[in-house]
This record gives sequence, C-alpha cells and structure tokens, in this order.
Amino acid sequence: MAAGRGGGSAEEEVRRSVRRTLANVVTILVCFGLLTAWILLGLYQLEPGQAAVILRFGRYSRTVTEPGLKLHLPPPLESHEIVNIASIEREEFGMRPGETTEPSGEEALEAAVQTSDNNIVNLGFVVQYKVKDAFASRYRVADPRSILRDAAQAAMREVVGRTTIDGVLSEKRGEVESETQEVLQGILDRYETGLDILAVQLQEVQPPGPVRDAFDDVLAAVQDKTRAVNEAEGYANEVLPKARARAAELAAEADAYRKARVAEASGESQRFTALLTEYRKAPDVTRKRLYLETMEAVLPRVEQVIVEPGTVVPWLSIGRNAKGAPPVSSSAPSAAPAPAAPRAGAR
Amino acid sequence: MRRVLFFGLIALAVFAALVYAGNLGWGPLVITREDQQQLVLVFGKPVSILIRPGLSLRLPLLSDVVTFDKRRLYLNAEPLPIQTRDEERIVVDNYVVWRIADPLAFYQSFPTGRAQAESQIDRVVRADLREVVGRRTLAEVLTTARPEIMESITKQSDSELKQAGIAIDDVRINRTELPSGTESNVYARMRTERERLARKLRAEGEEGGRRIRAQADGEARVIVAEATRDAEVTRGQGDADAARIYAEAYSSDPDFYGFVRGLEAYRKALGPGTTLVLPPTAEFFRLLESEGSRR
Repeated sequence: MAAGRGGGSAEEEVRRSVRRTLANVVTILVCFGLLTAWILLGLYQLEPGQAAVILRFGRYSRTVTEPGLKLHLPPPLESHEIVNIASIEREEFGMRPGETTEPSGEEALEAAVQTSDNNIVNLGFVVQYKVKDAFASRYRVADPRSILRDAAQAAMREVVGRTTIDGVLSEKRGEVESETQEVLQGILDRYETGLDILAVQLQEVQPPGPVRDAFDDVLAAVQDKTRAVNEAEGYANEVLPKARARAAELAAEADAYRKARVAEASGESQRFTALLTEYRKAPDVTRKRLYLETMEAVLPRVEQVIVEPGTVVPWLSIGRNAKGAPPVSSSAPSAAPAPAAPRAGAR
Repeated sequence: MRRVLFFGLIALAVFAALVYAGNLGWGPLVITREDQQQLVLVFGKPVSILIRPGLSLRLPLLSDVVTFDKRRLYLNAEPLPIQTRDEERIVVDNYVVWRIADPLAFYQSFPTGRAQAESQIDRVVRADLREVVGRRTLAEVLTTARPEIMESITKQSDSELKQAGIAIDDVRINRTELPSGTESNVYARMRTERERLARKLRAEGEEGGRRIRAQADGEARVIVAEATRDAEVTRGQGDADAARIYAEAYSSDPDFYGFVRGLEAYRKALGPGTTLVLPPTAEFFRLLESEGSRR
C-alpha cells in the first residue's frame, strides 16, 4: 500500500510536475501574448504631409514627420496625435471676388475698412496658411482658426488704417498685402499658434456704394485730363506744320518776286537799250512817232477839255459821254475814233 | 530568472494600470498633459499645483484634482459703443487672447470655472476700452493710435486681472464701425473730396491743353513773322537789283528815258473817266491847228 502509494505518488509527482510546467508555459505564453498585444497598441501609421506629436506621460516627447508605419511606447505610457502640416488652408474675409452688389450684414461689417485719410473702403481678402509647428497648434493655443480669423481682420485694418484710400485702391495694394502678412504673422507668432501665413491677397477693393459714382468721376477726370492734353498736342501738331507751310509759301513768293523784278528790270532795260539804239539813229522822227502813238492810244479813252487861253470854250466830249456807250475796246480800235475826235472838236 | 521576469511583467502591468487610472482621474498617479495644469486638493484644500507636464503623485481617495487649460484662450467680445474725446460715437469690436497664469488664484477667484472668468475679463476689458478710447479722438482711434491703444488696454487689463490668476496676452481691436449718422458724414466728405479732385484734374487738363495750344500758336506766329521778315528782305533785294539794272540801262540817256517813260505813264494813268485839260498849244493839236488855218 505504501509501495502502491509510493508508486502512485511518484507517478503523481511526474504528472504534477508536467501539469506545473504546462501551466507555467501557458502562463508565460499568455503573458507574452498580452505583452505583444499591448506593445502593438503603440503602432500608428503616418501619411505623407502628416506629423505625429508624441507625448510621454502627458509631456511632449517628439514630433515624427517621416511617413510610414511607426511604433511608440504603448498607451497609456505614450500617446500620439496626428496633425496635417502640408495642406494649405484658406480663409475668406469681406467681399467675395466679382461681387458687384453692396455687401450686407456681417459681410458688410467685415468688408468696410477705414483708411488713414478717414475714408471708408470695401474690401475682400483671402488668407492662406498652413501648420508649421504641429505641437504648438495643438497644445499652445485653443481654437487657432477663430484667432486667425480675428487676427487677420485686425491686421488688415491696422495696415489699411495707415494707408490712404487712393493707395489702397491702386498702387499700394501689394504693399498692403505684404504688410498685412507680416503683421498677422507677428500676431500669430506672439500667440504661439504654430501657423505659417503663406499669403494675404486682396481680392476686391472698392469705394463704398453711396460714393462710387464720385470715384468713377475722378477716373473719368483723369481720362479727361489726358484727352485735353492730347487734343492740345494734336492742335499743336496741326498748327506748327501749317505755319511752316505758310513760311515756305512766303519765302517762295518773295523769291519769285525778286526773280520776277530782276527779270522785268532786265527785260525793260533791254527793251529801252534796243529802242535807244534806234532812237539815236533818228531821234526826231522817233520822238514824234512815239508821242503821237501814245496820244492815239490814250486820248480815245479820256474825257478831254480843250482850253483856249483867255476864252471860254465849250468842252468837247469824246468817248462814252458823247456817244452814250462806253468805249469797250478803247485800246484796240484806237486808230478809228482817235482821228475822229480832233475833227469833231474842231467843228 | 523566471520569477524576475514574472514580477517585472506584473509590475509593468500594475504601472500601466495606474497610469491608465491616473488618466481617468483615479489612483495615486496624476498625469498632467502639455495643454493642462492642475491643482491637487485634499478636502478642498489645495496642496500642490501641477504646472509642468508629466507624472506626479497624490494621496489616493482623499484628494481631488482640478484641471485647467494651459493654452492661450480666445474670447470674442460683443461690439461695444464708445464715445471718443471729440464726442464722436464709435462701435469697437475686439477680441482677447488670455491664459490661466496662476491656477490656484484662478481657482479661488472663479470656483465655478471658465465662464465666470470670461465674463469678468469681458467686464474689465470693456471698462479699459471705454477709458483708453475715450481719451482719444475718433481719427486717432481709427488710424494712427490704434496699436498704441491696443497695447495700453492689454497692459492695463493684464495688471488688473493678475490677482485673479489671469494673464491677458492681447486685446486687439479687429473692427471699428461708425454709427450710421457719422457714416453718412464720412460719405459726404468723401464725395466732396472726390469732386474736388475731379475738378482739379480737369482744370489741370485744361491748363496743360491751353499751355500747349498757346505755345503752339506763339511758335506758329514767330515762324510766320520770321518768314515774312525774310520775304521782305528778299523782295527788297529784288527791288534793289531791279533798280540797279534800270539805273544801269537808263543812265546811258536820261532825257530819252524821261520821254519814253512819260509816254508810258500817260498810257497807264489816263483811262476812262479821266478828264484831261489840255491847252490848245499842246503838241498833239499843233498839226490840227496848222491844217485848219491852212483850210
């Protein structure tokens, strides 16, 4: 019995030790399984453009940016939070681009901005930004988007408030944009928002509705000014060539006059010289002939009175008074009436 | 060895469980996250202030933990009508960025929490806005003095709220609206300014135009006058040349020239309508007379 018990106990001993070993193995396996499962809870996947902020016992440990399958200490020892750092976000303010009607309500309040010369201008702009510091954007500031919206408006109003309305409407737009970006980035950095402002763009800048016609009229006046000057230049371009043309005419006329005078003079001189040559050959005859020829030509044309010295003599009329008709061809038919006249006068 | 491993695992599991419980607010471990700060209270009495993130110990069961936000917080205030020094009314819209700087003072000042604190901040900032903006003229508020105003309001409200454990990082005016009456005044002024500018531009255009025209007219006149002068000189030369040529020819027999030229003058000068008085002794009639007497 003892032996049997002894044999049984040995057998039992073996069985017990096997059972214990089995239990140990199972326990260890289970423990390792649980441990592995727990460790695997620390797995996470990171897409390109994402960053994981890792906290250990709530304290910042590291930021992981390379994409892929990643492992951190299993929760609750470490925890991670994934933030998009590549995507570009966009916020719009005030007037929407292309809008022609007056904005109203909240949009109107957002749009109306005062300039340095105490004018009001309606504008719309867009801010583009992205997260540059994933940790700060999560753990340094609450509600970064609301802060961005208000800070952007404050920055724009500050910058436009330093600029004249003419500047905002035209040549200073670029300056307003870049200065606003600078001011806004400064404000956001001061709050540690971890946001990076990529661009501030003015979409619409318009004078307010009630005064828009006056602004349009100024633009029209600029055109008018240019046109007035252009017209005057056109006038000048017309007047000066005309004057030069007149000058050329005068010069040409004068030149022609001079040449004509010289030509006439030399012609007449030559005629005189020729006549003189002949006259010198027979002076008396020529002299008489010339005189009579002249009288012959002249007398038919004139009304003449012949006066006998000391006596009253009736006047003798020749030509149109006597005949009642004008001597139209007074020079051509001079030969005919001329001899008639003296004869009539003699009667 | 096996035992070490076994107890190690057990310890790890217990630790993990405690951390997990700490996250839920139970047990002896307190986890302070980066965006948190905490107060440990025993029977309502603060015993420690946890500002730095990480693990801390506390008395389990008997202690309470109150958690506060450590981040910068955003508070948008209602638009506030204010009268400026020059008695203009203006509506100022602002926002506040603040944080809990001293959790203990904050907890004591605002036992019910953040909403209570926000209404207190709102009150203080409004009062400061009224005071600071009220010392300025409308023009200053709208433009030049803006950053200065915001800075002094920030400083003032920060120092007033310091005792309550609140730090004011920034009070910023994002909008200023003019009341509708003032707005129409501004529009009227803008209109007159634009009209003045338009008139000035048009007048400048007229000025420029007239100046150019006058210059052109003047130049044209000078050109014509100079041309006239030159023409007269040329004509004079022509006359002189002619005179010289005549003189050269006629001086060979001045007497005969006088005769011929005289006859020519008669031809030209005596025309229709001329009454010629001649003595009977005139050369022309001499022949007639002698003929008549002969008859």
